[in-house]
Amino acid sequence: MTEPNGRPPQLRLVDAAPAVPEPTIRDTDWAILMAHAQDGDRSAYQRLLREITPYLRSLAARRHRDPSDVEDAVQDILLTVHAIRHTFDPTRPFGPWLVTIANRRFIDRLRRARAQADRETPLMPEHETFSEPQANLEERPDKYELEKAIDELPPMQRKAVRLLKLNEMSLKEASTASGMSIASLKVNVHRAVKSLRKILGDRSEP
Amino acid sequence: MIATPDLIESLAANMKPVRRLRPPVTRAACWLLLAAMVVALLAVSQGIRPDLAQRLHDPAFTVGMAGAALTGVLAAIAAFLVSLPDRSRLWLVLPAPAVAIWLSNIGYQCLTQWISMGPNGVSLGEATRCLATLVLTGLPLSLAMLVMLRYAAPLRPTAVTFMGSLSVAAITATALSLFHAGDATLMIIMFNIGTAAMFVGLGSLFGRRMFEWFAPRPDIRG
Repeated sequence: MTEPNGRPPQLRLVDAAPAVPEPTIRDTDWAILMAHAQDGDRSAYQRLLREITPYLRSLAARRHRDPSDVEDAVQDILLTVHAIRHTFDPTRPFGPWLVTIANRRFIDRLRRARAQADRETPLMPEHETFSEPQANLEERPDKYELEKAIDELPPMQRKAVRLLKLNEMSLKEASTASGMSIASLKVNVHRAVKSLRKILGDRSEP
Repeated sequence: MIATPDLIESLAANMKPVRRLRPPVTRAACWLLLAAMVVALLAVSQGIRPDLAQRLHDPAFTVGMAGAALTGVLAAIAAFLVSLPDRSRLWLVLPAPAVAIWLSNIGYQCLTQWISMGPNGVSLGEATRCLATLVLTGLPLSLAMLVMLRYAAPLRPTAVTFMGSLSVAAITATALSLFHAGDATLMIIMFNIGTAAMFVGLGSLFGRRMFEWFAPRPDIRG
């Protein structure tokens, strides 16, 4: 692969980022639109937001690889622009105002993403393995005790606690599964928990 | 996630006209007027230190107080400028010369006072009144600045908080040296540094979170 002048292409240490259109040409247009928007012109505001979106997207594409991240960042910037639109001074250029907001949002988002990555660990197969009952033998006696206690409950309460607590269904799901109304499910599960607490001895309060 | 065109639609549909902010220097002047009022009210209620006229002849004292007041004014202006997205961050160095004068003066006084008084020269009698001045000046000014600069939250919260805290600290220090007299100069000096450190520290610790409380919410429903 050679370039027209016959020399091999030079290696460049830059990202193959899409060229970002300079906002300078449209700057005055955008500033005028924003000034109208500040005075309450909705169509000008809509046009402005529509016109800056591709530009913001190209800015965001330099920072994020994932298209949904790009879109998130764009929306974040649009919301910020909306929230602080009164800080724009129409006598000053619009481009720097917008780019500063965009850059601050990018930095904040990246910082937050890193903090999240530090705090959270991805869920691996071993995490699930260790939460399975087979891996937690010592919890079994508790389980038998609980099962026995639930069997002693009145039938309606037993059904409610099984569906809502043991099978972790939502109220709606439990209602369709059992034919009981949501209100009666609520009442029964409340009573069931109360009597289970009495049967098993309340351990939450010494 | 809502699609971006839909977001634009709903933002535009629910937009209300907004009042543009006044120029940053004007707003800083408003805030400084409030600061002057707070200090004046305190002067009425607590009374100016009795030996102020005499102390004003001492160049070290005058330079120190002027430095503190100047720091307050310049840092406030810098905070209001930097809170806007389209102003340069270089405004952050605006109060630097005043800070240099103020702190070097404190350092100089510290040294000379220490030598003349010795380590036992510090009295704690006025501590509670000093604390009252500190809280009464610092608290309203901090809150006012927080509310006035709330829209900086999504932009440069740290830099703005730092400048704001510096300004409040400097004004509080000026107030302290106006009202509290006597032999406790060394303590006042230490209070000066302590207040500054406290406000700047509290500002950087909690400023971000406080800003988020006051921050304008990007409300889609307008």
